[in-house]
Amino acid sequence: MSKQRLNIIKIITMILIVASLIISGKAFLAHRNYKEAVVAGPSVTEVKTLGDYFAPLKGSVADCNIYILDSGKPGGTIFLIGGSHPEEPATNLTAEIFAENAVLKQGKLIIAIRANRSASTVTRPGDAYPQFYNIKTDWGTKKFRMGDRWSNPLDSWPDPEVYVHYPSKQMLAYMDIRNINRTWPGKKDGSITEQICYGFMNVIKEENVDLFIDLHEAELEYPVISTIVAHESGQNIAAMASMMLTDMEFAEPIGIEFSPKSLHGLSHREIGDHSDAVSLLFETPEPFLDRVRGVTDERLLLEGKDPFVMRAGKFGLLYESIDEDGWPIDVRVGRHCSTTLMVSQIWNQTNPGKGVIIENIPKYADVIDNGVGHYFKNPDEAVAEKVFYE
Amino acid sequence: MGILNTVIEFSYYLLSAFIAFVLIREIYKTENYQEAVLYSVILVPFILRILRIK
Amino acid sequence: MFLHAGIILIIIAVTFAIGTYFKLNTELAMLLAAIAAAIYHTGGIPVRHLVEGSFTYYDVSLIFITATLFINLVKESGGIVFMVRKIIIRFHKHRFLTLLFLTFILMIPGALTGAGAATVLTVGTLVGTVLVYMGISKTKTAAIIFLCASMSAAAPPINLWAMMAAAGANMPYVGFMQPLFVLTITGSLFTMFFLGAKGENPDLDKILKELPEPPAEMNWIRVGTPFLVLILLIVAGRLFPFTMPILGLPFIFIISAITMYIMSPKKLNILDIAGRTIRSLIPLVGIMIVVGILIQVMALSGARGLISLAVVTLPIGFLFATLFLILPVSEGLLQYAVAPLLGVPLIFLFNMQGFNAIIILSAMAVMWPIGDILPPTAVVGRATVIELNYKGRYYRDFLKTCLVPMAFILGLCTIFLIFSNQLSFLVGG
Repeated sequence: MSKQRLNIIKIITMILIVASLIISGKAFLAHRNYKEAVVAGPSVTEVKTLGDYFAPLKGSVADCNIYILDSGKPGGTIFLIGGSHPEEPATNLTAEIFAENAVLKQGKLIIAIRANRSASTVTRPGDAYPQFYNIKTDWGTKKFRMGDRWSNPLDSWPDPEVYVHYPSKQMLAYMDIRNINRTWPGKKDGSITEQICYGFMNVIKEENVDLFIDLHEAELEYPVISTIVAHESGQNIAAMASMMLTDMEFAEPIGIEFSPKSLHGLSHREIGDHSDAVSLLFETPEPFLDRVRGVTDERLLLEGKDPFVMRAGKFGLLYESIDEDGWPIDVRVGRHCSTTLMVSQIWNQTNPGKGVIIENIPKYADVIDNGVGHYFKNPDEAVAEKVFYE
Repeated sequence: MGILNTVIEFSYYLLSAFIAFVLIREIYKTENYQEAVLYSVILVPFILRILRIK
Repeated sequence: MFLHAGIILIIIAVTFAIGTYFKLNTELAMLLAAIAAAIYHTGGIPVRHLVEGSFTYYDVSLIFITATLFINLVKESGGIVFMVRKIIIRFHKHRFLTLLFLTFILMIPGALTGAGAATVLTVGTLVGTVLVYMGISKTKTAAIIFLCASMSAAAPPINLWAMMAAAGANMPYVGFMQPLFVLTITGSLFTMFFLGAKGENPDLDKILKELPEPPAEMNWIRVGTPFLVLILLIVAGRLFPFTMPILGLPFIFIISAITMYIMSPKKLNILDIAGRTIRSLIPLVGIMIVVGILIQVMALSGARGLISLAVVTLPIGFLFATLFLILPVSEGLLQYAVAPLLGVPLIFLFNMQGFNAIIILSAMAVMWPIGDILPPTAVVGRATVIELNYKGRYYRDFLKTCLVPMAFILGLCTIFLIFSNQLSFLVGG
């Protein structure tokens, strides 16, 4: 090949590479810097940030909002977190419904919508996630960041050769040092994800949290699905909630799992062990996360319909059923809303004097009837002081 | 510990920058068009990481 | 959707074949296939997806580059030739011990870098020279170098196939050290003694004359210290995890490389060596970057799901009977791409059926590198014949000589697959 022709190829290649750097770079930055507006609901009395409980995180990418809904009437305190794994959208959507709508009649409710903000600023290489998803509301479309299971490597680099969990010394996968549900109870001078958990533990202690709820979603190929995972201290509540919900509300049952004592770093184990709070974790099915899924797009994320996953089900390879209706986001958010409400009701019955009465939150059937978006407020119509950004 | 971690993190960016530098030099020097194209493709993630974009 | 994903797979296969036919290298043919599939699926060019995919194995690439830099510095300082000469001088009258230690030398570079090519390029010629002087034919020598290089790539601590598949399955890369060690040591020792046991005792003077001279000041302390630093840093991260800063494997290799630089009796131009290391690794880093892009496009278009589905719905008995063929052949075709593509669904399937996932993945991760002798890529096989300047016929001599040890290794791995639960006591490290 002549020198001149070679140079032309090099120049064309470079132009294409620079163009792809600019196009993709803009997309990555737009995703990382996108802010979701949240209209603080009628019972929100204060909005702090995680940095208020652990100063080193103040102003950092991990400094998520902490919404405090105080009834002013003495009772217990429930702490609800969504977005532990930002690739599980039903979790932050549920938490946001609570933050925008809940009316507290007794006790206190604390909410983190984006528990791991860093993980919500990146999508996973090799998995072709959409960067955003859009939820139809009564006033237009609301756009949300899709995220990953792990904190952004830009905020936590490098990973160790092996991640040794603090304080149990259990060895875990190297990348799980960026997985918020493997870094509980956190470490003051640890990685940013360990520090996030440390910050949340401070919230739990300073706010005297009685009941902690961590929202999740799972692939249908994973055995821990459609369930409440409970620390020993919360097994009775979880068992009763699972029974009531399966009997009275849900089309598909919700089970109960006991938090394994030997598996460390998970919220249901460590928060129960390292604080006075009862710790529970809820799982809903998310076919988007299945390895055998077909086309990876926003539709699958929100509608939860996938013929490949269904086929896997026919071969008995799944731990949850799936049919042509799939597992739409309304069903998944509805399950989380109802499970949270049911657990709080049972909490109130079993802990007189420490009640947390939450009203104005849709139940499973309501969310399915009206759609998730129906419960989001229009930030353009809200007073500026009520609008916060995630 | 914090300072040490920052130094280590910075060294990773430095390592990425060094690799990117070698790649750019190779793109300039190579006389094989396939190598030039492949090196340019490899360069992409290194540049975006150095710039802290991805 | 089945039809759509099927068409995507056909587009990938056809474009890859056309690219190869028009003499594009494997990486570019694969990239072209990914772009063609992406265009068909989206109707445009999904730039963000293509670029994001290139990050899939970014950290693995860094480990690979820094580990190879470390090994190259050991080589350039004269450390490797020093070790080989010392083994020959000390054990030349004991054929068994000489072969044993040479096997050990062959295992180091690949074990640390995860690449068989690293073994061939750094110690292949040196050990090959010694083996020929020990009366082993050139064909058998080439077979030994290739197979031990493959075993070294699969050996712990770095097994790229296991790392990539484990990452895809959200499974910790923990507990693999012992099963990988048992499989690869057994495989490499069998190869060495099956092919190299017979021969005359070497003429020490002749061999020493043939081997390059290390610098006079080189000694075991100088060559051993960097390896000691490497091991200490890895162990310290596990023993004192809460007080040690997070170094990460690339930084550990860099520190070890700097130690080698300081301990080297001759002055090394570290920047020059680093530059040459990266240049020599570009094809291998390239394939990892391109495999990431391809995987992203396949995930986007449903093709990855279709392959996963096809794999997980196969009967287990069929897999036991065929994986010893499927895995090496697919490696020859796609290189590291097979680990996430076939490895991840296979792990899910075996795990779901109650098999021990760590033993299963270890066995598969030892079977894959055997395929590096097979076309169309044959990366390590080709590197071996080029590096050893082997003049025999590739298939009829070289590959044929490899067959018995290959059958032994693949058979052993199949036993590990079938009896994974009974062998679960091996999990650890």
